Amino acid sequence: MHGTYGAGPAGRGVAWITAMYLVLPILIVIPVALTDQRYLSLPQEGISFRHFATVLTSEEWLGSIWQSFTIAVAATVLAVTAGTLCAIGCWRISRRSTDLIRVLMLLPLIIPSIVYAIGLYRYFGPLGLLDRFLGVVLAHGVTGIPYVVITVSTALAGFDPRLEQAARSMGASLSQTLRWVILPRIMPGIVSGAIFAFVHSWDELVMVLFIASREVFTLPRRIWDGINENLDPAMAAVAVLLVGFTLLLLLGDRALRRRTEAG
Amino acid sequence: MSGAAGHALAIRGLTKRYGAFTAVDDVSLDVAQGQFLTLLGPSGSGKTTILMAVAGFVEPTAGAVLLDGRDITPLPPERREFGMVFQGYALFPHMSVAENVGFPLRVRGQSRADRDAKVRAALDLVQLEKFADRLPRQLSGGQQQRVALARALVFDPTLLLLDEPLSALDKKLRAELQEELKALHRRIGRTFVNVTHDQEEALSLSDTIAILNHGKLVQVGGPTALYERPRTRFVADFLGKSNFLEGTVRESTLDGFALEAGGARLQVKLTAPAFPPPGGSVVLLSLRPEKLALLAEGETADNMVEGTIRAWSYLGAGFSLVVATEHLGEIRAVLPAWKAAIAPAEGLRLRLGWAADAAVPVEEDAPPGDTT
Repeated sequence: MHGTYGAGPAGRGVAWITAMYLVLPILIVIPVALTDQRYLSLPQEGISFRHFATVLTSEEWLGSIWQSFTIAVAATVLAVTAGTLCAIGCWRISRRSTDLIRVLMLLPLIIPSIVYAIGLYRYFGPLGLLDRFLGVVLAHGVTGIPYVVITVSTALAGFDPRLEQAARSMGASLSQTLRWVILPRIMPGIVSGAIFAFVHSWDELVMVLFIASREVFTLPRRIWDGINENLDPAMAAVAVLLVGFTLLLLLGDRALRRRTEAG
Repeated sequence: MSGAAGHALAIRGLTKRYGAFTAVDDVSLDVAQGQFLTLLGPSGSGKTTILMAVAGFVEPTAGAVLLDGRDITPLPPERREFGMVFQGYALFPHMSVAENVGFPLRVRGQSRADRDAKVRAALDLVQLEKFADRLPRQLSGGQQQRVALARALVFDPTLLLLDEPLSALDKKLRAELQEELKALHRRIGRTFVNVTHDQEEALSLSDTIAILNHGKLVQVGGPTALYERPRTRFVADFLGKSNFLEGTVRESTLDGFALEAGGARLQVKLTAPAFPPPGGSVVLLSLRPEKLALLAEGETADNMVEGTIRAWSYLGAGFSLVVATEHLGEIRAVLPAWKAAIAPAEGLRLRLGWAADAAVPVEEDAPPGDTT
């Protein structure tokens, strides 16, 4: 930073401690996953990859990973479609009522997920959606909408409304304007929202505990059960894979933002 | 871009209110086929609102927009077939120049071959054939402006609307593009409606200028008519510069009158057919600075005034002087520099003169919000 003073030693110290505080609990699973013991512990005599092997060959773990993945993809599609349309609608109409709608859309983010989960449990029972793929997709998709609304609204705030007027003055219908002008311009915001919606579904546990039991057994659910029933280090290996995957998505998001900023 | 004649536009009693604020107040205008009309006014005068109502982006509170006599007020913008050049151009940043220009054709579902030929012709028209594959951000402001023009013209629009098309360019480029725009208008024979706050641009481009202030139409006419015979003080002041002299009519003749202003007696000859004002009435005169001449020793003019230079500046083509006079207050004069008989200096005494037909009577403007 040109023209500003660097932080003093005390400031640096506090910054490092804060960073460690955030990162250490995540990093600790790495040595645990590499333990040579048969219970959750740090490596004693050497490093072993056998727990990774267990996870990657176990039908249960692989089944849960696949289930989580498909649920997350479907929930993301739902969240992105609804969230993008909502954000564009609010932006186009732009009245006081649309501000209210935008706040309403953020509700799933503000309300504790356990409250939401209880509500879902009440409604999904009579609808036959408990312990169903569709039920979990709906729950995750709807609670993923706020992420998309936020990122797409931000992208739209930087969108020149004259581009839309220009398209219409040239005879473009609403759907043509949407497809050829608005969507390409806000695509980075949509992708960003999609990544957040995906991660949200990918690691969601509380709602799954309420609305799923046997048929739908997502990855976070299997980790949760593993912790409760046996202290298998395979869970740590799964956790490492999860962290790695999430990190990759976030790095992807970052790279995307960089590219838009440069462009 | 065939030689099809332009279309006639008519605006009837157009009014637009936003709550208690009246942006456009009962404006009626006619633009004949192939004409170049400029809506000229300061910011907030309602000129852009009128253009947006013609384009279909603003729904009028009252009044109608007619194209060749047909009421198009209820039509949405995408059904009006008007080309429009937006302020800041509004080029699609994610599309190349050719894709931008081809957009209106793509929207109409034309085949790629048809599109390519028309895009090439349109780019040719604005001399940008070589830039077809560039992105808008790789072009200069002037080039972007030309792309916007090509894009607005490629689908043979019935009208071309221009919203401050040259305001983002520097002065020299603006002058160049003004000439290009004028040549283009002549070549394609379309009806153009332009919005600007730049009086020079309005004077040089237009067949007709409509001057707006506080949402009201103040005066409509050709550039020369408006400049030479402004109806009100606002028009005289906004379109060029002007001195204002107020006095009482002392003597009326058939085509003129004598005015007593601050102890001086001024001769006024009316150039347009009008009744001279009755004796005793108070009249405001507009006198353009360039119509004053420096009088040499012994030289006379219809009207003469003596004063000292209070301030002056050199403009290249001329000297601009502020002269303090005994009877008429401060008077601005612009003298051609190449034949100025004096070297201006503050405090220098001089005599200025002007012909009886140089000054024209103008009205005071109605205050804003007055509906009469």
